[in-house]
Amino acid sequence: MELLHTGKVKRVFRDPENDGRVIIEFTDAITAGDGEKKDEFTQKGELTCDITQFFMKYLEKKGIRTHLITRLDGPRLRCHRVEIFPIEVVCRNIAAGSFCRRYGVESGTELPSPLIELFLKDDKLNDPLISKDAALAIELATEDEINFMKSLARSVNYYLAELLAQIDLKLIDFKLEFGIDPSGNILLADEISGDTMRVWDKGNVSLDKDLFRKSSGDVIEAYSELLNRLKETKPEEIAPREEAIFVSILPKDGIKNPPGEVTKKALNRLGFIVAKDVRMGKIFAISLNRPITTEILKQLELMNLKLLSNPIAEKRSVRLE
Amino acid sequence: MTIAVLRFPGTNNERDIMRALSLIPKADPYIVPSRSGPEALKEADGIVIPGGFSYGDYLRAGAVASVGAITDGVREIAEAGKPVLGICNGFQILTEMGLLPGALLHNQSAHFVCRWVYLRVCDSPNLFFNGLENAVIKLPIAHAEGNYYCTKEDLEWLKGESRISIRYCNQEGEPDESSNPNGAIENIAGIVNDKGNVLGMMPHPERASRPVLGSTDGLMILDNFVRATKTK
Repeated sequence: MELLHTGKVKRVFRDPENDGRVIIEFTDAITAGDGEKKDEFTQKGELTCDITQFFMKYLEKKGIRTHLITRLDGPRLRCHRVEIFPIEVVCRNIAAGSFCRRYGVESGTELPSPLIELFLKDDKLNDPLISKDAALAIELATEDEINFMKSLARSVNYYLAELLAQIDLKLIDFKLEFGIDPSGNILLADEISGDTMRVWDKGNVSLDKDLFRKSSGDVIEAYSELLNRLKETKPEEIAPREEAIFVSILPKDGIKNPPGEVTKKALNRLGFIVAKDVRMGKIFAISLNRPITTEILKQLELMNLKLLSNPIAEKRSVRLE
Repeated sequence: MTIAVLRFPGTNNERDIMRALSLIPKADPYIVPSRSGPEALKEADGIVIPGGFSYGDYLRAGAVASVGAITDGVREIAEAGKPVLGICNGFQILTEMGLLPGALLHNQSAHFVCRWVYLRVCDSPNLFFNGLENAVIKLPIAHAEGNYYCTKEDLEWLKGESRISIRYCNQEGEPDESSNPNGAIENIAGIVNDKGNVLGMMPHPERASRPVLGSTDGLMILDNFVRATKTK
């Protein structure tokens, strides 16, 4: 099989049967600190593959599109071939790891709401934190794509945290990677396992790669424990998360907007004389009871054209929660 | 000849239309509530979509009504070449449905306008304005969103194909700026589709159907409409 890409712990092959697919093999290697610390543990590839398969199948059932197609013999997954965005999307519920070092926050501090951070996927630069503005400036993805990935990360966070809570585990943080398929669908790609997430058991005991990072425990034992506990979960009991889409409609430039004009006059009369121009439009807040997909956004665009806006005189923009 | 007068929730001119049509011999109008669905239009020889505030003008005037199930029936009638007349909110519904090009925006004045206007009728033949070619007629308007707007391409097409049936004008028949009540592009008050069987107009012909109302010009349009249902 033709090797397409070698990562630190995975290898990607071309699927000989179908060029639109790849075969991803999970190796027994484990690395930390951007590859500075390395080792190999028998069974580790099998375990991360099992856990990834478990999470991705679960997320897929909840309506999140992933790259996973099927499990193959050994630690291998058949997946849709996607172009991976060079962005790592990290979601944090509780401060840990680099977040604590960066901001001097004590590990274990609960964050008021899930925090999404972006990192530039580049080993030579040690995967630095990157702002959305910088990611747009160097054209890593479009604004719509980044917003979509962030929105999806929030959904994944909900579904993973709820599932782990069933088995008394706390989801501290995790990293996601996304890819785009030839039809323009953005899929959740890469892996979701103890290698890419922090999970704490009672007494804040790690069941993840921190054991290797800090040389504080047996990774294989922890990953096996995580997998066994996951098998006891009841995914069907997790309620769908309500997602929100906001569609804003404004009159096109050059189209007279009398409601805005009279509002401007009223503002001026009340003393708000700095108001030079006011354009009035409307906002639709649409809630869904399933995760947002590229297909849903395409359908929404059709609804925008057919109903929510009058494309002759109005422009529109879509914002995800 | 059976004429379906559509009534959406919020339509409020259907009785005026019924009364005006009752003055025309052999017109057999019946009110069709939109909830009855497209089947209720099977027997119709023509359709009137009256004025009012369908669905409270929520979203945009005419927008919600334009995707109702009954509009499938309206499309069928229009495609069959039978006459469809949209008045005021009915005109807004027809543009939202895409049966007529363009859109009706807020009046430029930001005010609701309710007054008599003079209209110059197009000089080329048109089934709704038979016998009124090039005439100056007088009808009332009452709307907040009657400012007709369309793309340059659509305007070129409307003009080139003589699809602009009526334009706001002064008493002498000049479509000048001072006689434009709402800011409509080219003083457009009503247009027809490519086949000529679908007319959308902002003025109310039913409110100019008896001498006591101040004009009977509207009755002539309705009379033409009824006649057209017979010839088809």
